[in-house]
Amino acid sequence: MSEHAVVGKGVPRVDALEKVTGAAKYGADINFPGMLHARIFRSTEVHAKILSIDTSEAEKLPGVHAIITQDDIPTGRAVFAKEKVLYYGEPLGAVAATDPDIAEEAAELVKVEYEPLPVVQDVMESIKPDAPHLLNDRTKDGPRRRVITRQLKKLSKETGEDNSAEIERLNAELGGLDDEIYYNVAGETHESAGDVEQGFAESDVVVEGTYTIPRVHQVYMEPHVSVAQAEPSGKLTVWASTQGHFAIRSGIAGVLGIPLSDINVVGVTMGGGFGGRFNIQATHVPAVILSQKTGRPVKAQLNREEEFLDGRPGAGCVIKLKTGVMDDGTIVARKALAFWDCGSVAGGPIANTIRIRGVYKFPHLQMDAYAVHTNKSGTTSYRAPGAPQAIFAAESQLDEIATIIGMDPVDLRMKNMREEGDQVPAGATEPIVGYKETLKAAADAVDWWNREKGPNQGWGVAVGDWTNGCGPGAVYVSVHEDGSVRLFHGSMDITGTDTAMAQIAAEVLTVPYEQVSITRGDTNSAPYNTGSGGSVVTFTMGNTAKLAAEDARGRLLELAAQRLNTDIEHVELRDGKVSLTNGDAPKSLSLGELAAYSLSTTGGPIVGKGSLSGRLSAPAVAVQIAKVEVNPETGNTKVLRTVASQDVGFAINPIAVEGQIEGGVVQGYAWSMMEEMQYDEKGNVNPGFVDYRVPTTADIPRIESVIVEVPAPNGPYGAKGVGEPSLTPTLATFANAVTDATGVRINDLPIKPEKIVNALKSNGNGSR
Amino acid sequence: MRKHPISFTVNGDLQELFVEPRKTLLAVIRDTIGLTGTKEGCSTGDCGACTVIVDGEPVTSCMMLGVSANGKEVTTIEGISNPGELHPVQQAFLEKGGYQCGFCTPGFIMAAKALLDDNPDIPEDEMRHALGGNICRCTGYTKIIEAVLSAAETMRANA
Ligand code: FES
Ligand code: FES
Repeated sequence: MSEHAVVGKGVPRVDALEKVTGAAKYGADINFPGMLHARIFRSTEVHAKILSIDTSEAEKLPGVHAIITQDDIPTGRAVFAKEKVLYYGEPLGAVAATDPDIAEEAAELVKVEYEPLPVVQDVMESIKPDAPHLLNDRTKDGPRRRVITRQLKKLSKETGEDNSAEIERLNAELGGLDDEIYYNVAGETHESAGDVEQGFAESDVVVEGTYTIPRVHQVYMEPHVSVAQAEPSGKLTVWASTQGHFAIRSGIAGVLGIPLSDINVVGVTMGGGFGGRFNIQATHVPAVILSQKTGRPVKAQLNREEEFLDGRPGAGCVIKLKTGVMDDGTIVARKALAFWDCGSVAGGPIANTIRIRGVYKFPHLQMDAYAVHTNKSGTTSYRAPGAPQAIFAAESQLDEIATIIGMDPVDLRMKNMREEGDQVPAGATEPIVGYKETLKAAADAVDWWNREKGPNQGWGVAVGDWTNGCGPGAVYVSVHEDGSVRLFHGSMDITGTDTAMAQIAAEVLTVPYEQVSITRGDTNSAPYNTGSGGSVVTFTMGNTAKLAAEDARGRLLELAAQRLNTDIEHVELRDGKVSLTNGDAPKSLSLGELAAYSLSTTGGPIVGKGSLSGRLSAPAVAVQIAKVEVNPETGNTKVLRTVASQDVGFAINPIAVEGQIEGGVVQGYAWSMMEEMQYDEKGNVNPGFVDYRVPTTADIPRIESVIVEVPAPNGPYGAKGVGEPSLTPTLATFANAVTDATGVRINDLPIKPEKIVNALKSNGNGSR
Repeated sequence: MRKHPISFTVNGDLQELFVEPRKTLLAVIRDTIGLTGTKEGCSTGDCGACTVIVDGEPVTSCMMLGVSANGKEVTTIEGISNPGELHPVQQAFLEKGGYQCGFCTPGFIMAAKALLDDNPDIPEDEMRHALGGNICRCTGYTKIIEAVLSAAETMRANA
């Protein structure tokens, strides 16, 4: 946009040089003299009672300095398993030694005795009464039982009327619903609007399906790592490769039971996170406690196999989905029952099952979601947690409906899309949104209504949505005597958010981008900051940087007015100078001159401050269209073309924004075509890149990004969060394209070649 | 464990070291010599983050023992630019936005450099296959391929 000088331009990132020269220091690159190396020893059983842990042989190995187990955790909070292991690879303790190879050898010398217990890996098995009960046996009622129980309660409250016949009938019905009691439930969430059963009764067409989405790993390229140094005073310094160093500080303080002020966390450059690098992870506490025990710096680092065995991947789930529509395509009702596999730790993005409502308006909705335990590691966020899974189910089913009622899939979506002021099912009313614009942009980019396809080729479209978060953050801006501008904050940068902040400061202070630099502080020096995830950073920190720069601008104008003997209304900041707007002779002062002048004023040096804790964010949407070709003999599928349009509000740095879109799309294809963490009674069976294949340059064509800009009222220059929406529609886009190419629909991800071949066989047709 | 004497060059500097036979070239470069630009993403030869150039060939240094580097010439990411002057592949990654977190970047740049040193005319589809041993989880590869294509152009012009 021409009205801006710096924002909206694809300038190189502030960290470009250090990244392309190998100078950037990541977690594993932090080294200190005398540093020890930690190795975690792990369960070799999937579900078992621990009878004994014997570390005596390991202790004897020369070079071993300390070994810790759960008994060394001061607060007793669970860090290592003590009584029982719940998955293969669960941490039992850690060793510190002078060399990583010695630490590994020592870990292998630890002897553990177990009493094996029965294993359950499938959520649909785990909810049954005869499944092994992994943690507290918290049984839960299912959705139909809940409705009846609610009716019973209501009836028994109504006085003066004899409801006994009705109560009896409902009790009998309840008795017939024993299959609705779920076991191993770790959490649940419910949402409803209207009356979904009535909605189905009124619908012309009702479609039902079960969708299975596997657990996948974030596969950030740098495995978890932390370095800790305990000082004799008791103070701790931790170098953490993390999405948010303030959360690491509070996490460690909690486990150790010590004050926040005793811990300084230095956030170092991180090799990707995608949600998997929030909060304390496997390496932080072991490094800290081993350093406390030995008085030496300790580095704890996972390898890739440990990442798969003991990382916190994105949750898989089974979603039963039902949608009712009228013959003209109007969506009437939708109902979801979801079981999320949260592994051995309560969690899982159950609340985001609500994403099945998509960006459509319809009156009747019901959503019941449960988190269910299995013998796997726990889960955590993965880029738009829960949304790709829910949207895969929703957008696959919508395509099926389009085929049944004979309507074009883009038209069907366009017809039902919400606009500003529309009611969000079980939500508020929609603010200004760019759903239709974004769908149209994608359709136009491929000339959708004139699309052509050869034999075994197909087109697919899907729509995904997400709303960025906004967390607390603060920025200081200083202006120096040479006219340079420096930003200081405590936000971790992965995707180029520092660059966006620098661009914004340059824009406000009207200086060249190159004149702005940026420093990230550790938790001792920087103001508090929310973690970098949930697409919050550009929205939050962009706003904060803008506030700080505007604050500095105010001070510059004030100083200039003073210096030029005029009122603040008669000066303006432009091209890095403050000039008189009313004088006869042009008079101006540069930023550098003003900064130098400020040093001898009563107000002192120029510092701008921006600080905020929340602003209402705006929903973003991503629409993707793919053209694929399926080989009906082998099932191999090639993505021939892929277009990704996204409403980003305003692209502060279009190159960075495209990069976010492209990266998300490829992660989406990975999930749809190839990635899946596989488990059996022995635990995770594909803990490496040979069996857990991720896409490379050879697998995916160029992504065609289309940037749509419907400004967010509260975003900096209108920007919305861009990191997460891009992954949300890809899974369904691919599935829909494969169906268009083959005539068969596969609701069980990933859509691997053998599944296509089998589906074609049972469908009795080769190709179409 | 007994250490073996080895002698080889890294970025032109002679290194004479005593190395345990179990240490990989990657461990020697990062931990013994202290050049941390080369990254470890998997330690099984499957991600390319540790790619260096040994006697002109791209090598995943996690799969080569340090002792096998004896007598060889090793180039790492730290050895391909001069102060104030990036290698064309680095320059192209910078300009095209061919990185995000940057963890795969040193390995990718070294693999691309070796590829283009060998054949700066390589067509895109062959390039995509040749670089298929390097995983990037952030970029989706579109801008990486753009960068390598643009570097190829520069290198052809410079040749
Ligand atoms: S670390 Fe060597 S290939 Fe991955
Ligand atoms: S830039 Fe992060 S892995 Fe490639």
